[in-house]
Amino acid sequence: MSFSADKQTTDDLNLLGKYKPGSVYTLFNTVRTRGGERLLDELFRSPLSDHQAINARSDIFRYLSANPATFPFTGSEVSLVEDYVGMGGSSSGLVMAVQAGRLRLLETVVNDKRYGVIREGVGATVGFLRDCRDFIRRFDAAKAPDQLAAKAPDQLAAKAPALLAAKAPALLVAKWTAARAILDDRRLAGLPSQQEVGAMSWYRLAALHHLFVSVLQDSLTRLLEILYHFDLYIAVSRVAAEKGFSYAHALPEEDYIVQARDLRHPCLDKAVGNPVLLDRHRNVVFLTGANMAGKSTFMKSFGIALYLAHMGFPVAAKDMVFSVKDGIYTSINVPDNLSMGYSHFYAEVQRVKTIAESVGASQSLLVIFDELFKGTNVKDAYDATLAITAAFAEYRNCVFVISTHIIEVGEVLREKYDNIQFSFLPTVMEGRTPRYTYTLSEGITSDRHGMIIIEQEGILDIITGGGVHH
Amino acid sequence: MRFTTDQQTLEDLNIFGKHGVDSIYALFNRTYTRGGAAILEDCFRYPLADVERINQRCGLIRYFAEAAVGFPFRPETFDQAELYLANADERTKLSAGEQSLMGKVSRLIAADSEYKTIYNGVVALVEILQILRRFVEGAGVRERPATGAGSGVDARSGAGLYRTEQEAIVALLAEPALQPLMLDDHKGKLSFENVAQYDTVLRFRHRDIIRRLLQHIYQLDMYISVAKVARDRGFSFAEALPKERHFIRLEGVYHPQVSSAVPNTLDITPDSNVIFLTGANMAGKSTFMKSLGIALFLGHAGLPVPAAKMVFSVRDAIYTTINLPDDLGMGASHFYAEVLRVKKMARELSLGKSLFVIFDELFRGTNVKDAYEATVALTTAFAGRRDSMFVISTHIIEAGEVLGERNPNISFVYLPTRLREGVPVYTYTLEKGVTADRHGMVIIQNEGILDILKNGKPKLTKNETV
Repeated sequence: MSFSADKQTTDDLNLLGKYKPGSVYTLFNTVRTRGGERLLDELFRSPLSDHQAINARSDIFRYLSANPATFPFTGSEVSLVEDYVGMGGSSSGLVMAVQAGRLRLLETVVNDKRYGVIREGVGATVGFLRDCRDFIRRFDAAKAPDQLAAKAPDQLAAKAPALLAAKAPALLVAKWTAARAILDDRRLAGLPSQQEVGAMSWYRLAALHHLFVSVLQDSLTRLLEILYHFDLYIAVSRVAAEKGFSYAHALPEEDYIVQARDLRHPCLDKAVGNPVLLDRHRNVVFLTGANMAGKSTFMKSFGIALYLAHMGFPVAAKDMVFSVKDGIYTSINVPDNLSMGYSHFYAEVQRVKTIAESVGASQSLLVIFDELFKGTNVKDAYDATLAITAAFAEYRNCVFVISTHIIEVGEVLREKYDNIQFSFLPTVMEGRTPRYTYTLSEGITSDRHGMIIIEQEGILDIITGGGVHH
Repeated sequence: MRFTTDQQTLEDLNIFGKHGVDSIYALFNRTYTRGGAAILEDCFRYPLADVERINQRCGLIRYFAEAAVGFPFRPETFDQAELYLANADERTKLSAGEQSLMGKVSRLIAADSEYKTIYNGVVALVEILQILRRFVEGAGVRERPATGAGSGVDARSGAGLYRTEQEAIVALLAEPALQPLMLDDHKGKLSFENVAQYDTVLRFRHRDIIRRLLQHIYQLDMYISVAKVARDRGFSFAEALPKERHFIRLEGVYHPQVSSAVPNTLDITPDSNVIFLTGANMAGKSTFMKSLGIALFLGHAGLPVPAAKMVFSVRDAIYTTINLPDDLGMGASHFYAEVLRVKKMARELSLGKSLFVIFDELFRGTNVKDAYEATVALTTAFAGRRDSMFVISTHIIEAGEVLGERNPNISFVYLPTRLREGVPVYTYTLEKGVTADRHGMVIIQNEGILDILKNGKPKLTKNETV
């Protein structure tokens, strides 16, 4: 079963969305090629649930973060080759030679553009293959430093000193070995340079054209696919290095632990880090704090980190260790559906029900509830929050983060349950201005600022006429 | 001073509506002519704050509703007339002396479309003017005094109100140049000479008179079509009172777009100028508040209202906050949006205006405890402004208890929920007091959430962790 996160969750965490500003996807989307972007999409849409597969993938990123490489092509260069190879052609070299000859003639006579397209495609492919060789050769140096260093010691050592030192992960080695095999095809030996292609006679060009779009079309398509992977790996590991992200270590589900230091929101530049430790003995965080104190941000950071960790991606935390989960459910901004007659309260109840069904079906989940039951009266909100939290807390295989303003719930829970951690985000009052530390502390706080905001806006004074200044 | 409102209010009450949604305007827009629709739209765009003008417009519509007058014209004639009048180019003028052979031949061989437009327009206008004369002079209006008025027409009765307009029309129609075409009993086709002669009068020499007459007809169209809507839907006619009375009485008010809506009755006086509305979520709070807003808005537009009876003091403005957009992403900013909205009301109040304010689910964007405090503070502050009226709904029923002790001029009403075999049933009828209905836990029980969790099988329980 794969790791699941539904639409509400990905919306709450702002994970996906190419055109959404500030989404986690946008943060990582520094790939150059279309194919790389497609792969990034796929990875974001299908996080893994096998701890070995997760670790294998994160090893690739970790290796490339430690041994930075540069993707040698621009997006348009690769697109050109991709489109050209995708053209396809007849399997018969003769047919294609005749076609090329005809187009060459048409170019001269009526200035036909099609021959030019072929010439450009062949030129681009020739250049692409040469650069690919150089690019892959650098990884070869890492794979077998001794052999290659012996062959061309000065040149290679100078080019990629870091690569020589590290042992590359197997998945990455497999990729470049496959690329190598394609590039070492003897039919691709002795390719002309790009300048030579420009001046080439039509029958020699036709021969290359036939080779690229027909004979080797499959190989080249596979090569492009491998290149997209490299594009993705390099882009993601570079973001990680720039932002100071690190890699989480995945454990089997039965370990039931999520632990990290300095956990922060990946999309905020000056985010404050906090530690988390949830295991089978303490699997619920009961979070309190004022409106602007950063409760939602903390909860989102946690959700995002766990999601990225399941993708094998870098996380905005240090020393993160986690046992794999079956999915994440959040309830942070549940929209009401008034057109369907659902009030906000009812929408929340429906959301809780969905989650309860998944939890009850023995899934191991991360569940995040932000300020449940806003749309009801104080007493119902108290009763409901208490009942729901207590019922969920029995599921020790799941981890829960629950925020609320109803501190009385916390007092009752503290008496009854030993597996709930009580954390709060403090507010420091400097005169009449609240300041927020964004640093988790242990305990329960009754800080609230609704009235402070109203007072700061001077609304009551304006209404009563006392505070009108013109 | 004009009556004001804002975009948020218009959207909340669905006055104009979005595309493809039936709006209140669409509900009224049964006019026969385009000009009538434009006048109706103006009524909606610019509601009145003047008692006299509101009562005058309302009285006129009432008169036409009671007299059950039908629209005497053929609607399509106005399209032809307008198309014709739109062309004021002197060069297209027909002149009788210029009936050249060429013109005759071209009309004979192929229909001259320009001449066709002029011909149709002239015929249409001749018809319109003749019907109009019969209408203003005929029994339809003049000889039908308001019921019980006996001899002589009371100036304040509907017929009396229309008399001014009627006399204006009669005066305009008395223009000597119009008389020949008034009497033209054209059986069949008008001759070219006649068309040319009338064209000069209608389109050029007395264009202004024609325009004013058409405007009178459009006005009449609005009265008659709105009166028909009122009759068909059983709307009533509100009576406006001076602002200083600060009084509203609404009997049997209902939402015009809800089928089989339940009517409610409400009084607002300076001694009960804050209506504190509670009730469960589906009990109909929003619908009731919208029906109040719509009735008040229509009342100020001088239009018939969906209520059995309505008397109201004019307000300077109406503001509602029912569906405040909460696409702002974060909960805190929804609360802030509400705070800013409240601040806007506060500013208006500080200018000494008399407002009608509706707040649905005040401070739902924040946690229940903040909402409780803020609701108490704000409602208390509003209650101090007896020259304005407030209708506030909330789910924080705890706030009601505190407010009742402090403020004698808050009127508490609620929409009840009855539980019938565990299933909530709603009466949609206002009752006095604060609701004691707390159905939050009932809904959770009904959904069986706690049972799901109790009967589920955790992979790991407390015992295994030890």
